[in-house]
Amino acid sequence: MADVLSVGVNLEAFAQAISAIQALRSSVSRVFDCLKDGMRNKETLEGREKAFIAHFQDNLHSVNRDLNELERLSNLVGKPSENHPLHNSGLLSLDPVQDKTPLYSQLLQAYKWSNKLQYHAGLASGLLNQQSLKRSANQMGVSAKRRPKAQPTTLVLPPQYVDDVISRIDRMFPEMSIHLSRPNGTSAMLLVTLGKVLKVIVVMRSLFIDRTIVKGYNENVYTEDGKLDIWSKSNYQVFQKVTDHATTALLHYQLPQMPDVVVRSFMVAVTKIRLAVPPKHGARDGERPQKSQTAVVPVCWSSLLPAPVKRAEFGNPVIRPSVACSRTPRFTPRKSADAASQDSPPPQG
Amino acid sequence: MTSPEASPRSVSQMPVAEGKSVQQTVELLTRKLEMLGAEKQGTFCVDCETYHTAASTLGSQGQAGKLMYVMHNSEYPLSCFALFENGPCLIADTNFDVLMVKLKGFFQSAKASKIETRGTRYQYCDFLVKVGTVTMGPSARGISVEVEYGPCVVASDCWNLLLEFLQSFLGSHTPGAPAVFGNRHDAVYGPADTMAQYMELFNKIRKQQQVPVAGIR
Repeated sequence: MADVLSVGVNLEAFAQAISAIQALRSSVSRVFDCLKDGMRNKETLEGREKAFIAHFQDNLHSVNRDLNELERLSNLVGKPSENHPLHNSGLLSLDPVQDKTPLYSQLLQAYKWSNKLQYHAGLASGLLNQQSLKRSANQMGVSAKRRPKAQPTTLVLPPQYVDDVISRIDRMFPEMSIHLSRPNGTSAMLLVTLGKVLKVIVVMRSLFIDRTIVKGYNENVYTEDGKLDIWSKSNYQVFQKVTDHATTALLHYQLPQMPDVVVRSFMVAVTKIRLAVPPKHGARDGERPQKSQTAVVPVCWSSLLPAPVKRAEFGNPVIRPSVACSRTPRFTPRKSADAASQDSPPPQG
Repeated sequence: MTSPEASPRSVSQMPVAEGKSVQQTVELLTRKLEMLGAEKQGTFCVDCETYHTAASTLGSQGQAGKLMYVMHNSEYPLSCFALFENGPCLIADTNFDVLMVKLKGFFQSAKASKIETRGTRYQYCDFLVKVGTVTMGPSARGISVEVEYGPCVVASDCWNLLLEFLQSFLGSHTPGAPAVFGNRHDAVYGPADTMAQYMELFNKIRKQQQVPVAGIR
């Protein structure tokens, strides 16, 4: 094989070099043999010494010759190509010592795994981008440098403006009354009373809704000091659940550039807290309307979010909520083991 | 002064199971409640005394004397309720009992009229269930079941929910809608409505025959 392969090694010279090494080894062992054998038997001492020295010199010369030959050949062999892709980790693979940690194979596995991960992440991002889950109005693909900085104007609003927006929304809904107070600095706290059913405490930061708590109509919403109590949860489980729903609603409506639209949408969602008894009982009781505005049982929560709110004053449509409906659990009695009480089976929850 | 608000309750009577005593039926009911997952939360007591207007105050036409019921409820320990059959209900503090003694000339207590119900309270999610044994004197006459739904304030809204809950553990003995629920739609429920329901229940039990297998309390 006289041709140079892609690894860049001269294979013929390589083979010759290997045989040159063998020659060198044998000549070196000849030297040591000669020394071991010592002087041969001759007539005179000088004769023996001369013969020994000549023999020894011959052997050393042959060693020298072989070494030179080897050096010449090694220059011909050349270095292996420097553009092998593995670099240092490739050298790691050549290490014959078997360590306790199989470093090289683990390295290879990690590399394959990260490649696969990158590939799958690319697929996933492609799929996710089809369904826009973005909460902000920024355009896709705008790099970090070119993204416009968040307008500070929507965060720092004069309190009077906030009051105006709230009072406007208050007038929109007759069955709902909003009371605004500022007990802790500039952030507004709203107490929204919905008919005779519930009270909603909304904590705001300028015009953004921060937190919300829903309590029953008969529960106390003030602390002993007389200030609005914004921390304690409702005593009733149904209103704790409604609080969760309301919090989800406020997280869902997010428009940094148009906070008043967000507040209005949230209030609409609050008024639509339709809490109705399941229809099969509503049909039995003739005098009671099917879905009263003020009844008190949690129901399928897609009805909590309204159809898209009418176009806001400045003409931009509100994002449409798209949440799946989920049944809230009703109480499900465990089976009674009493034989005497098998009048009618308990209703399936 | 605004009327006090309370959570709507439904007070009904549970008929005694056949072949069992009052005590056993109460135990059956409480066991069912416990299996439902309700937690015991103490005891309750509602009692009622009857007074009728004294003869001396009746007019010459001999109009029938009115009956007045003075009731106490352990849910409102500092109050005393005085109500007429279809008339108004007065909510006073406990000194009213002493006042009744002073009004002996006008209102006389009917004999052996004291009727009361005692039992345990159970809390299940937002519901409060009270199962009590109605006793008149030494004998147990019946069983009272009261269910309250906490979060609501307007009675007509949550009746269907109460009905569904009652069915889950009373089965076929579920009562119909109480009269107080139907009277005023969207009116706020109050403690007086509860006492009116108890008054009706006690009157019904009084008229009933004694339970054949009288259970010892």
